[in-house]
Amino acid sequence: MKKFFCQLLSHAILVLFSLSMVIPFAWMLSTSFKKPHEIFVFPPRWIPREPTLKNYLDLFRAVNFSRPFFNTLIVAVSITVLSVLLASTAGYAFSKFRFKGRDKIFLLVLATIMVPGQMTLIPVFLIVKQLGMLNSYAGLIVPGVASAFNIFFMRQYMLSIPNELIEAARIDGAREDYVFFKIVLPLSRPAIVTIAIFTFTGSWNSFLWPLVVAQDERYYTLPVAVSVLAGQYSENLGLQMAGSCVVILPILVFFILTQKYFMKGIAPLTGLKY
Amino acid sequence: MKTSKFWVFVFVGPSLFLLLIFSIVPIFASFLLSLTNFNVYALVDWSRARFIGLENFRDLFHDELFWKAFLNTFYCLSIALPVTTVLALLNAVLLNRKDTRMKNLFKVCFFLPFVTNTVAIAIVWSWIFNPRYGLMNWVLGLFGIRGPQWLSDPKWAMLAIIVFVVWRGLGYNTLLFLAGLQNIPQELYEAAELDGANAWQKFLYVTLPMLRPTTVFVTTMMIIGYLQLFEEPYMLTQGGPMNATLSIVLYLYRQGFKFFKLGYASSIAVVLFLLIISLTVLRLKLSRE
Amino acid sequence: MRKLMIFLYLFLFALVALSQQRVLQIWAMGEEAKKLNVMAEKFVQENPNVRVEIQAIPWSAAYDKLLTGIAGGQLPDLAQMGTTWMAPFGAIGAFEELTPYLAKSFIKKETFFDGSWQTVTMNGGVYGIPWYVDVRVMFYRTDILKEVGYERAPQTWDELYDVAKKLKARGEGYYALSLLFTGVFGNEFMPFVWQAGGKILDEKGNVRVTDPEFVEAITFYARFFWEGLAPTAGGNLFQDFAKGTVPIFFSGPWMVRMIDEQTPEVKGKWSVALMPKKVKRTSFVGGCNWVIFKNSKNKDLAWKFIEFMTRPENQIEWYRLVSNLPAVVEAWNFPELANDPMMKVFRAQLEDAMSPPNVPQWEEIATAISRRVEEVIFKRRTPQEAANMLKRDIEKIVRK
Repeated sequence: MKKFFCQLLSHAILVLFSLSMVIPFAWMLSTSFKKPHEIFVFPPRWIPREPTLKNYLDLFRAVNFSRPFFNTLIVAVSITVLSVLLASTAGYAFSKFRFKGRDKIFLLVLATIMVPGQMTLIPVFLIVKQLGMLNSYAGLIVPGVASAFNIFFMRQYMLSIPNELIEAARIDGAREDYVFFKIVLPLSRPAIVTIAIFTFTGSWNSFLWPLVVAQDERYYTLPVAVSVLAGQYSENLGLQMAGSCVVILPILVFFILTQKYFMKGIAPLTGLKY
Repeated sequence: MKTSKFWVFVFVGPSLFLLLIFSIVPIFASFLLSLTNFNVYALVDWSRARFIGLENFRDLFHDELFWKAFLNTFYCLSIALPVTTVLALLNAVLLNRKDTRMKNLFKVCFFLPFVTNTVAIAIVWSWIFNPRYGLMNWVLGLFGIRGPQWLSDPKWAMLAIIVFVVWRGLGYNTLLFLAGLQNIPQELYEAAELDGANAWQKFLYVTLPMLRPTTVFVTTMMIIGYLQLFEEPYMLTQGGPMNATLSIVLYLYRQGFKFFKLGYASSIAVVLFLLIISLTVLRLKLSRE
Repeated sequence: MRKLMIFLYLFLFALVALSQQRVLQIWAMGEEAKKLNVMAEKFVQENPNVRVEIQAIPWSAAYDKLLTGIAGGQLPDLAQMGTTWMAPFGAIGAFEELTPYLAKSFIKKETFFDGSWQTVTMNGGVYGIPWYVDVRVMFYRTDILKEVGYERAPQTWDELYDVAKKLKARGEGYYALSLLFTGVFGNEFMPFVWQAGGKILDEKGNVRVTDPEFVEAITFYARFFWEGLAPTAGGNLFQDFAKGTVPIFFSGPWMVRMIDEQTPEVKGKWSVALMPKKVKRTSFVGGCNWVIFKNSKNKDLAWKFIEFMTRPENQIEWYRLVSNLPAVVEAWNFPELANDPMMKVFRAQLEDAMSPPNVPQWEEIATAISRRVEEVIFKRRTPQEAANMLKRDIEKIVRK
């Protein structure tokens, strides 16, 4: 009986928070199907009385989605793969290697996220220009690959992997790459899935950098292409919301497909004996 | 046993190299800028910038608005940090319970705020906080409470921003905690149960200690993130009313990107950097004890 | 083999043809960029050897894009530039000075409205050519003002205050007019200063914000909030206007179309009028100009495009495309503008409209003004105190 009550309470709390997460989004979705005069009706109307597809039709008429979609996909996938690889190797080194200056170098890595991005925008732009990477996929991808956030996360996660496991393998004569790929990586699956999802989402939504780096519209990503339409006076709220829904839909699908690995990450752990 | 230089280089080298080019050098450049009077006129013709030593920092010290921004930012941090941590942990623990149904659905819900486009979601939130047509006061009204004017009242505006900030960070931090929870071996719980521990004791003596690396990560990132508070006030209030929601980075942005005083803006960045790094080191030190 | 030769020749020919084709790169903002393609096609028909590349820049990040572009020397030939951005970007020497071009062109100072021309001149030089204008007028609900005894819009400050009192007296939850009071609202506040006969800087560069006229404008503006005539709780402009709870506001020409779209139910129940008079009826004029960047290699071609866009028939065509008001005076003789009663008001207001001083620090000054006026609105300072503080602020900004 007590157990049932606990379960009920826990679900009630989850439902409450989930609702608060969903409501702003639901309003966004519902607005994207509304005609202008219905948007500001009070009290809020969740289901449009005269639903319309006009916002979406306008969007698809004005924006040629195929190229930006393709660009965003290339950029987001490349950044995610490279970033996860670099972050897990570096995270492993910072958590399990012993070398001189390890903690100092780690703090230096961390320090790179302590200066707001606005401050480094112009210098990074100038560097990318010097490297001749303006207006290219390289310019869109490379500056986003090394992520101090991901390195930090992987390091923290790997800290909780028992040292004995790794030491045992090393004593058996395993090389570091073997230890990393065969022991550390499988154990870190929840963390890898987590940062992969976050990195993918972040680079999918990234807006300012792709805009600045693209010298012509062929290199526009989805968020940039869509935001061109959002007017100066944000006059077309419905259109704006439709644009936003279109941008996030693919990531939602991606998340739904990948998040089950959140759970699976636990399997190899319980199976191991140590 | 020391790891050989070769492997250190292979594992850390690429990341460090990229960070050096795209982060460390630019940061260093912006720190150099803080010692100059780089402004409007220097942007096209760099030779017009002059080295002025610590003058920017002296000005900053006497800048009333900077101190205001400083206090506002700490106000946000001091509320948003504990609230987000506790709520995210709570939700993660509940999501991780074996008897929780529809886990995937909940996770998708928690994921939503994180993926939604900032501009669009800011518009939604300014509608939510609209005192007359907004959802917030409508809901409060159902309970017979007359809500404040939120974004246009200097007393409430920052709280409204904090609500938005917590909302944006909650789902994301919940998922981070969840990843951490899943790394705790089940055996530990089983062992604790054998010792007769109840749920609360298990949480206190198994979950919390085992979760420590994640907690350190999450709180450190929050300190770094909340001290760089920018997008939320930029979108919702532009720092108003009466500069009640002016944050350090918003002030920096204003000085650098609106007034083109990149030298002065850089000095703000330096101060912010020192602030963040000292708090981060403090946080990491605390975690070691 | 022969096929290959033919192909090679064709390829070479295409290459030569392409290399002779000149490319004009333009940055334009938001929806305007999408519609500008129509004009560009027309331009290309007249100039067959030219290709026009328009890059659409979202308004939300246009400022950052320009700033990085200028810092890195990565700019197009020609760009659309908001009038209030002329000074900051012009002062840093990013734009080409256009006096030599004007000397041999049909474009003259008199081609445009005075207020609009004011936005392209700085320190005696010409740094842009007006494209379209935006001027603020008074929008009001004719039916509701009639209810409180006003057959026409309030013409003077006294009448505006009087009608505001009467509108407020309709009851709890009713207001008179909507004014900005948070954020940077220099463009919304300055018309009141000009109407009172005040100014920020005089010809000698002295700061004049402690003049009685300026203080009077602060008081007049703030009083609407003190007495609850203007809502401090941001409602929704359209809803409030449609419901009649806030039946007056000041805004630009784009609002005409937007009210029709957003709240069709009030069609025929509203109108526009000139700004209220104190000593003048001056309003704010904004809009967008064309600028040529200094490092462009196609300046003559860019100028040709500007000339093309300045021709009255193209100005009116642009109005048809996106409802942007022509900056060229002659374009207003076309029937769709000359015969439209609302457009007549905008036309009249354009004759008495100003833009903020073209100093590179304008954004900073506007922020300082907003801060001090806000302090008066929230009664932290008296108008005189605020003006004194503001004088110190602005002197500090200008001196640097």
